[in-house]
Amino acid sequence: MSAGDFEGHESLIAQLRAGTLDAPDHVHRRVLALGQGKRARVPMSRRRKLFILVPVAATLAVTAAVIHGAFSSGANPNASAAAVEFRHGRNQPVAGAAGATGARGPTGAQGPTGTAGPSGPNGGTGATGPTGTVYDANQQSPAGAQGALEPLHRSADTAKRTLSSTPESLLIPTHRLVHAVASLEVAVPSHGALTRATNKATEIVTQLGGYAQTSQYDASRSGPGNAFLDLRVPIGKAESAIRMLGGLGRLLFQSVTTKDLQQTATQQTTLVGQLQRAITIYEQALQSGTLSGSQRVEVQIRLAEAQHQLTATRKAHGRTLASGRTAEIQLRLTSRNHHAVVATPHARGRLSRLLHNAAGFLGLEAVIVLYALIVAIPIVLLIAIVWWLMRERRRREEKLLASA
Amino acid sequence: MKPVNAMPAALAAPRPGRAQPFADVVAENLDAVYRYLVYLTGDRVAAEDLASETFEKAYRGWRRFDPQRGAPRTWLCRIAHSVAVDWFRAEARRQRREDNYMRDAAMLEESVFGDGFSPELDQALHRLTPAEREVVALRVLLELDGPSAARVLGISQTACSSRLSRALQRLEEEVGDVRR
Repeated sequence: MSAGDFEGHESLIAQLRAGTLDAPDHVHRRVLALGQGKRARVPMSRRRKLFILVPVAATLAVTAAVIHGAFSSGANPNASAAAVEFRHGRNQPVAGAAGATGARGPTGAQGPTGTAGPSGPNGGTGATGPTGTVYDANQQSPAGAQGALEPLHRSADTAKRTLSSTPESLLIPTHRLVHAVASLEVAVPSHGALTRATNKATEIVTQLGGYAQTSQYDASRSGPGNAFLDLRVPIGKAESAIRMLGGLGRLLFQSVTTKDLQQTATQQTTLVGQLQRAITIYEQALQSGTLSGSQRVEVQIRLAEAQHQLTATRKAHGRTLASGRTAEIQLRLTSRNHHAVVATPHARGRLSRLLHNAAGFLGLEAVIVLYALIVAIPIVLLIAIVWWLMRERRRREEKLLASA
Repeated sequence: MKPVNAMPAALAAPRPGRAQPFADVVAENLDAVYRYLVYLTGDRVAAEDLASETFEKAYRGWRRFDPQRGAPRTWLCRIAHSVAVDWFRAEARRQRREDNYMRDAAMLEESVFGDGFSPELDQALHRLTPAEREVVALRVLLELDGPSAARVLGISQTACSSRLSRALQRLEEEVGDVRR
């Protein structure tokens, strides 16, 4: 091809090649000075980067999945209200020991074998043990929340011991005005225990300076029994009340909601002050006798409005303070056998669960990647089109410039 | 080819996975790239600056250079082409603002494209368009083969071949005209 291209122009080519045209020395020096002071970096081709990045990304994804699997397989999947049960597991006489088994804590929380109390540390037979038996153990055991299930003539220091043995799990701020609403669902083993727990709940709130606003008790000979109590306790005793009420049986559900009322109360106090000052000004203006007839009427209207607003604000402020002084506790006691519903045999070992969870997490990662691709592809295409158009434009410009 | 003296260590050290250190590439190609830029721009001073800029860019991108995809000279010429196009763009803007007739006239007085050229050849080269001079520089002076030159120019081999043929034909005519 070369020979063909130069055919007929040999003389011209020779002339062109005969001329010397070297870069001046200062250009040589300038170019050679480029590398001075710069550290040579290890080159890495795109393919090499790809070879590194892909396995690293895959390793990270798998590691994340395995870590997730390891953490999520730590807890026994049979436990339905795991978090709450874990926390309050120590309230249970044998569950406390069962809690020591770590991963099998929730199993312990299911109440391993009250009758086989001594085997508690293993916490192993809970799944097979009937619920009723479990809570009989509560009554027999000397410590923990079983105190709440013992006869009502138990002394107050028992309640104190119950409180002291209960973990600190809930925090209701006492340095600010807050309104707290708590919901608790507690399972008790039998109708008899339900009656005792209902009475004990009322006694607990009374001891703490509160009262039962409403109380409903439903029980039949054959079916499960339920008791609903709407309790009010002073806000400062709310945490204690929640702990003690939660210890009446096996805590199934617990929810605490707090709402800060401090700002509302402060605003109301400020408004009351403003209104009082306004009322004083209006009254002084009316007494001065310098107002015209129409002005007097207008000030009287404003005075009446301010007085009305002051009354309403004071009432609201009173309600706010009352709301901040007491906490609402809705307690549901049930003798329904929840274990029968949630208990499933240990079909899988921990490794199996780990692998299962890790695979699930990997699947989730794949879905996320797929989703990202679906979202990214149109954007990438758009960018590619814009890039191509710009390139074409640049080429056209180059052509024009070069041929000018 | 000028000898490379007092070569900086960063340039002299061969990069892993490469047979040639960057300093050798500079030593082998700087004059060629400069010549190419002189032909392309028709301006020695500009070519000096552009050559420096080309090698600066090349040094920054040296780790991305893949010897399997082409010779260093082709790669450097592509960079030089891109740098020169930017220069042309800036130059076009500048020329719109000012008349550079005097400078061009002064440049014509001395040989721009090569020492030892006859005035006729030098003037004839000056009359070619930058695109024509560029293809002559790549194919004749730098002795790039057809595919490499086409790659530098961003055109097909056939178009490159046609452009070279036209450029040489026109150069012959211009030399004849100048002589007459």
